[in-house]
Amino acid sequence: MAILIPPRPDSAPGPPPRTLARPSPSGLAAALVLLVLLAAAAWSVVELRLNVATLVDSVGNAGDFLSRTVPLDFPPVAEILLLSGQTMAIVVCATLLAVLISVPLAVLAAANTAPSRAARYGSRGLVVVARAVPDVVLAIIFFRIFGLGALTGVLAMGLHSVGMVGKLYADAVEQIDEGPRTAVRATGARRVQELVTGVLPQVLPSFIATALHRFDINLRISVVLGFVGVGGIGFEIASSLRRLDYQRGMALALVVLVLCIVVELISGSVRRALLGDDVEARRGIVGAVRRRSAAVRADVARDPGSPRVSPPWTPTRIRRTFFGALTVLIVAASLYGAEVSPLQLLAGLSAMPDTFALFWPPEAGGILGELLFQLLVTVQIALAATLIGAVLALPIGALAARNVAPTPAVAKAFRITVVTVRGLPELILAIVFVVITGLGPVAGALALSIGAVGLLGKLVADSLEETDTRVQQAVRATGATRAQVFFAATLPQAAPAFVAHVLYQLDVNIRAATLLGIVGAGGIGFYLLNASRVLEFGVVTTITLLVFGTVMAVELLAMWVRRVVA
Amino acid sequence: MTLGHIPEPVIQLEGVSKRFTPDVLALDDVSLTVRAGESVVLLGLSGSGKSTLLRHLNGLHRPTSGGVRVLGTDVGTAAGAEQRRLRSRIGFVFQQFHLVGSLTVLENVCTGVLGTLRGPRIGLLGYPGKVRRAALEQLDRVGLADQRFQRSDTLSGGQQQRVGVARALMQRPQILLADEPVASLDPESSAQVMALISDISREDQLTVVCSLHQVEVALSWGQRLIGLRSGRVVLDQQVGASDRDDIMSVYSTVGAGSAAALATTG
Repeated sequence: MAILIPPRPDSAPGPPPRTLARPSPSGLAAALVLLVLLAAAAWSVVELRLNVATLVDSVGNAGDFLSRTVPLDFPPVAEILLLSGQTMAIVVCATLLAVLISVPLAVLAAANTAPSRAARYGSRGLVVVARAVPDVVLAIIFFRIFGLGALTGVLAMGLHSVGMVGKLYADAVEQIDEGPRTAVRATGARRVQELVTGVLPQVLPSFIATALHRFDINLRISVVLGFVGVGGIGFEIASSLRRLDYQRGMALALVVLVLCIVVELISGSVRRALLGDDVEARRGIVGAVRRRSAAVRADVARDPGSPRVSPPWTPTRIRRTFFGALTVLIVAASLYGAEVSPLQLLAGLSAMPDTFALFWPPEAGGILGELLFQLLVTVQIALAATLIGAVLALPIGALAARNVAPTPAVAKAFRITVVTVRGLPELILAIVFVVITGLGPVAGALALSIGAVGLLGKLVADSLEETDTRVQQAVRATGATRAQVFFAATLPQAAPAFVAHVLYQLDVNIRAATLLGIVGAGGIGFYLLNASRVLEFGVVTTITLLVFGTVMAVELLAMWVRRVVA
Repeated sequence: MTLGHIPEPVIQLEGVSKRFTPDVLALDDVSLTVRAGESVVLLGLSGSGKSTLLRHLNGLHRPTSGGVRVLGTDVGTAAGAEQRRLRSRIGFVFQQFHLVGSLTVLENVCTGVLGTLRGPRIGLLGYPGKVRRAALEQLDRVGLADQRFQRSDTLSGGQQQRVGVARALMQRPQILLADEPVASLDPESSAQVMALISDISREDQLTVVCSLHQVEVALSWGQRLIGLRSGRVVLDQQVGASDRDDIMSVYSTVGAGSAAALATTG
């Protein structure tokens, strides 16, 4: 087929042919945005004085902190259990509320199931708003209405969680294979039947995984919300710290840490039991299917007259039923334990207009300049923490990826590191750093940097492991070294995901920086708490709008950059 | 089909055109009638409009102009309960099987009766025992009763398509539509699935409209061939009367030579 090869053009005089592709305008713009963000982050690190000197200065404080903390003063076991139970009940109910709202919202918001364009954009908009309004603000509002108690926390976290859960659910629905759904529709099924039979089985694994993930996040947030009056352990920590009783406060923080790890372990096993189709478990499933079909064949042979038409009790089904029942039990206990009373809810709803009137119109309380400056500090904290986090997370995440690490043992060790860091609630870190480095942005930035290693490290490792190994083999086959393979084959495949993850981390950090301000870790959050304490609700609204605007701007920017680099 | 008695028409298309975008004309003035009990093969290259035509017969698509009447229902305007009732009387077999992969084989067959059940069904036990037993009977007909509790995505392609056929039969349909039912299968599974569709349509006296692109399969299988090219009917005759060259002309895009080459390469 030699004739198909076009003749080689005679080398004409003139400039040599380009060996670099001409860059596209949007690609250039995205690169520029990323560079500006990088520069801003570097400037923030300098501006916030995040350097070795600051850390060295703090060493003395750390010793001081330790002397005031040790020995830890644990409350009686019964009280610990009661507080943990309260926190867990609130978190379970909040996550349940988020799921109950998100499922129908996702159906309305997903492009392939939305009944109309208006419904789609309307519900996508609601999800974005739910994400951009900080949960602390919701907690402050609901605290005015419902006072101390579970309902404030359930509503604040539940509604805010819709921002993440609803989005991920809608994305999952959009990614389904339309075939089975069309097939179900072709049998004459109604719309609800079509969704339940053709769509739900496809999205269920990701729905469950998202709900459990959010559950873990909400547990951490519930502690922060203790500072604005949501009951449970967080509330006790807040009051201990207010009394400067660090022995009690840190003991409770340790309890939270243990609780987070226990919950992470439980939700992990629930996830595996209910879904059981990750790579390792597939072997198990195929095995189970084999055993199951063998059992069925025996069954059919034994009793040919009335063959079995209800599913047999295979080990898989027994395990699923057990964990399903366990989940239902936990939810029921939480609903009971949180003492969410419908009457209180109704009374609160009727008081809603009066409460909202308190928050309107927005006021600056004569400190608009100061508020804007503090907003800048919050953004600086987020930028600096994202940069430091990324610098730490890239090598750690790469070494945690099975296909990059030199040996499986190294990968495992780094994975465990990442998971452990992820287990540390940022709030606890922030409190520790506030005490060590003093009130201010350094504490927030350091806490968030470490937190970023946990999340970003995991995302980096996952996206490296998802790269196509055949490409790596092809490069290795040319005689490339390990480092060359990494830079030529692995990194280019994962780079767009890296950019997306880092931008996502920035997004997360801006919200978290606002939140951590509440415990004195610098930025606008502190003013939010103060404004609500002195009942200047107009200022709360102003701060909310400022944060909302910033988050939206960053989110839109991130969305655009992600689209360009993808 | 007794001699002298002409069965009533069950599918009637009159001047049906379908435009997806202003410049894509998928069907171009198609008119045809299919009578009860006929086995019709739709022939044509991919993109010739076979799938689009089939999807007009159960209302998955609506015509841009022209009329589609199936089992006495005007498909172009039927909506809601009327559309669902029509669909529940028409079985549809897809090229890519379109089973719900994470559900068991038996549950997939049960979904065939959703059109006649009220409310959503969650899990195999959501279906009445009667439905489950009926589904097992249909699975037995396609030879997969023993695999009924397996996840359907653990089956081979040929097995999945047989489950697809069982799901369609579960509807107790009057018409069976099959969209390239064997295009994704190996030759042996193809033969099995085509034989199955042929046997069952005879037993249940179904009207079958099946799109295929392999001429050999079409000749050995259908009674009547309808050829489509660029959305137009270019051939409509009984298999016995068909001349190989006529059929090949369905495939001609540039000239007879390339059509022959296409036919031999499959």
